[in-house]
Amino acid sequence: MAISCIHLMEYVPGSFVEIYKCTSNIPFGLTFTLHYEGVSLLMVLLTAFSFPLIFLSNYNRELSQSNLFHALAFFMQTGLFGVFLAGDGVLFYIFWEFTLIPIFLILYWFGHGNYTTLVKFFIYTMLGSLAMLLSLIWLKQHAHSFAYADLIAARLTEKEGFWIMAGFMLAFAIKIPVFPFHTWQPNTYSTAPMAGTMLLSALMLKMALFGMIKWMIPLAPEGLECMRWIVIVLGIIGIIYGGIIAIKQTDIKKIFAYASISHLGLIAAGIMIYSENALTASMIQIINHSILSIGLFLVAEVLMSRTGTNDIRQMGGIAERAPKFAFWFMIITFASVSIPFSAGFIGEFLLLREISAFQFTFGILGASTLVFGAIYMLRAYQLSMSGYREDLSFTDLSWNEWLVFFVLGLLALIFGIAPYLIGDLVKESTVIFTQIAIK
Amino acid sequence: MEAIVIIFISGLISLFLGIMKKPAFVLFVSTSGLIIGALAQNYEWYFLNEKYHILDFNDTNIHFLNLAVAISATIILGGYRYFLEESSTIGDFSALILFSLCGGLCLIGFRDLFMFFLGVEILSIPLYVLAGSKKKSASSSEAALKYFYLGSFATALLLFGIALVYGTIGTFNVERIGFISVLFSDQLPSMFFVGVLFILAAMLFKVGAFPFHFWVADVYQGSPALFMTYMSSVVKLVGVYAFYRLFGMMFPGVEVFWSTLIVLAICISMFIGNLSALNQDTFKRLMAYSSITNGAYALMAVLTFNSGSEALLVYMIGYGFSVVALMTINSIANNEEDKLAALTGIGYKNPFIGIVGIVALLSVAGIPPMTGFFGKAMVFYQAFDQYMWLVLFAIINSAIGVYIYLKITMTLLKKEDNAQVVVLNLGQKLVLSISLLALLFGWTIIYV
Repeated sequence: MAISCIHLMEYVPGSFVEIYKCTSNIPFGLTFTLHYEGVSLLMVLLTAFSFPLIFLSNYNRELSQSNLFHALAFFMQTGLFGVFLAGDGVLFYIFWEFTLIPIFLILYWFGHGNYTTLVKFFIYTMLGSLAMLLSLIWLKQHAHSFAYADLIAARLTEKEGFWIMAGFMLAFAIKIPVFPFHTWQPNTYSTAPMAGTMLLSALMLKMALFGMIKWMIPLAPEGLECMRWIVIVLGIIGIIYGGIIAIKQTDIKKIFAYASISHLGLIAAGIMIYSENALTASMIQIINHSILSIGLFLVAEVLMSRTGTNDIRQMGGIAERAPKFAFWFMIITFASVSIPFSAGFIGEFLLLREISAFQFTFGILGASTLVFGAIYMLRAYQLSMSGYREDLSFTDLSWNEWLVFFVLGLLALIFGIAPYLIGDLVKESTVIFTQIAIK
Repeated sequence: MEAIVIIFISGLISLFLGIMKKPAFVLFVSTSGLIIGALAQNYEWYFLNEKYHILDFNDTNIHFLNLAVAISATIILGGYRYFLEESSTIGDFSALILFSLCGGLCLIGFRDLFMFFLGVEILSIPLYVLAGSKKKSASSSEAALKYFYLGSFATALLLFGIALVYGTIGTFNVERIGFISVLFSDQLPSMFFVGVLFILAAMLFKVGAFPFHFWVADVYQGSPALFMTYMSSVVKLVGVYAFYRLFGMMFPGVEVFWSTLIVLAICISMFIGNLSALNQDTFKRLMAYSSITNGAYALMAVLTFNSGSEALLVYMIGYGFSVVALMTINSIANNEEDKLAALTGIGYKNPFIGIVGIVALLSVAGIPPMTGFFGKAMVFYQAFDQYMWLVLFAIINSAIGVYIYLKITMTLLKKEDNAQVVVLNLGQKLVLSISLLALLFGWTIIYV
């Protein structure tokens, strides 16, 4: 079952050439348009490649026997492709919401979370989305239809632009999550099944960053000036806050969850700079973060399922027993603390440079992510892996886990050495987006 | 016109067939009567396009007629099991639903206040009987009595309002009243405004909106599930649409006067419905409060009387079929005590029920890509131009609503190993499939 799914998946990258457009008979200004440019294309590729990896890392776990899980995952993928390809505001919103249903069911049926965590997650995201819907409706008052081009052409006053942007930003900030809206995230991550966490963190959060790049800012560039400061400050707070909390955590999944808040805060802040370089860097960092989060949550799952605990203080000495795992965990850790030659280095360096150019203090504060990242990642590594324990039994990686780590490590290395692979792909569209924002 | 006649006749036939105590037979006659009636009406609309003096089933009205008939037919189909249990009175029940629907159709097509009033009465009187049809249950009798007293009071108000408006303008014809009241909008006597106020009050009562919403919870909970479904879907649909047409056609000239009141009513009913539903553990009462909220959303279409009919139609497809699906699932679960907990795990053990349930709940919560979302979005979109703050409040309420429906979804889909596995009969399968299709694809009607 799982293998056939993977085979099915591998053909998906070929299908994005289709662009569908239906302009006839459009009541209420609803159109059905699917289109892509560089950024969307990259996101689609990311989605298409992430799913096999997620299924593969899931291969010898309990979930891989479940038809239900795979069905929901494919629904999810449909929704994600829809989000990345949508060429119409309402279509974007529909797919955006559509992804929420499968992930909710995955978390509900296969997670071991309690009722409150899930409801909090759902209501939070739903509230944000409703704000986005309101913004879309408002924007439509100034445009002919909900089609992307028409929405871009809409002229707003600065105040309207700000509020419309605020509606979008609420939806995206909750999903990313940016600092004061992050409270749903750590609990949801730590109670979700591994594949669910991967889906959430590698793909669903990227929807929000993508939405910021392609939808929020081009649609209401009038509000950018005001909104920029708010989001960047919140992003910087998120970097520091997430980093500090991650240092103190003992639950391995929560460490990675707060690390994720820290990393994504930087990306969100970088996107709000909205220059060509910043966008390119953000895209590199988005890809990098997807790679890392699949890797990190696989690490967490390996540790948790084999030691039976998620408390890193009770682990230790694993490196001795499982050298392959230790090696790949090390690689992922290095990629995560963004040493040179990993994709993270390029992404973070460029992002920090752009933020410093915007406001030097923010650059300095943002750079603390490197320090914090090194501390919490190495602490997690050290506490869980090193040392020596007599009574430990720990089986090393199985072939599928090894394969996933291998692919991830390779990708991180490739994008670290040759970031222009991503840069060239998104260059055209970043130029277009920034021009729209300046208009 | 044909539809009313045919449905009335099939109601009569099923009344007599009831003597034979053959539920399947009655069911067949009443559903086929409904379908033939609707088809005849569509034929008339499409090929003859006739307009009667006091009834008009063209254009938008015919869509609403079709919807009302379709929902009623589904409800009657789904009630097969209930009819089996109460086989001695089956003829009466299905006939009363059909009679009540005749009144509803008058309300959809009226062009005259006389027909309008007649429609309200024909719609309501069978409902009073149906609400109390579970004779041995105290709550059912209470529901019937409450509904009857309050309903007749509202009717009296309505009649008085109509009399006052007639006294001012001098005609029953709705369009002419609208014309005159627009023309002389600055010299209307206060009598006219009092009339509008009375009609407004009566209509708010009929759709169960603040400040006349107190009957809803008790009446819905007390009535048998089947008739409660009918009340909260078809009657609500007809009521809101009649409201929409009445105020849109008759009083556009004095819009400022009534729109403020309706905005207030909508705003408060949304909050009342949602906040009361928040902690309910009985299913029918929860649905009753949810119907107050959803009725309030639908009333937003009344505010946009120039162009809101399409949005209202889509909204009502979403809401009506959601109610039908949910109540059918509730009755399948054999929920005598009407507790929410009785639904635990049904959807997980029976995948088909699970799918329909989740689609219905997501639709009524307004989550895409279900019809309910499109309806809600369109209604909000229409109202946004003039009533931005109202839409904002409605969005907040949608978020509260999501919590309520999510709770039911999670109960329904819980991984519970000892949940019952149920066998659906043909009628229930049909009802659930129709609802599923309507909820998934009903919104495409905007392309027609």
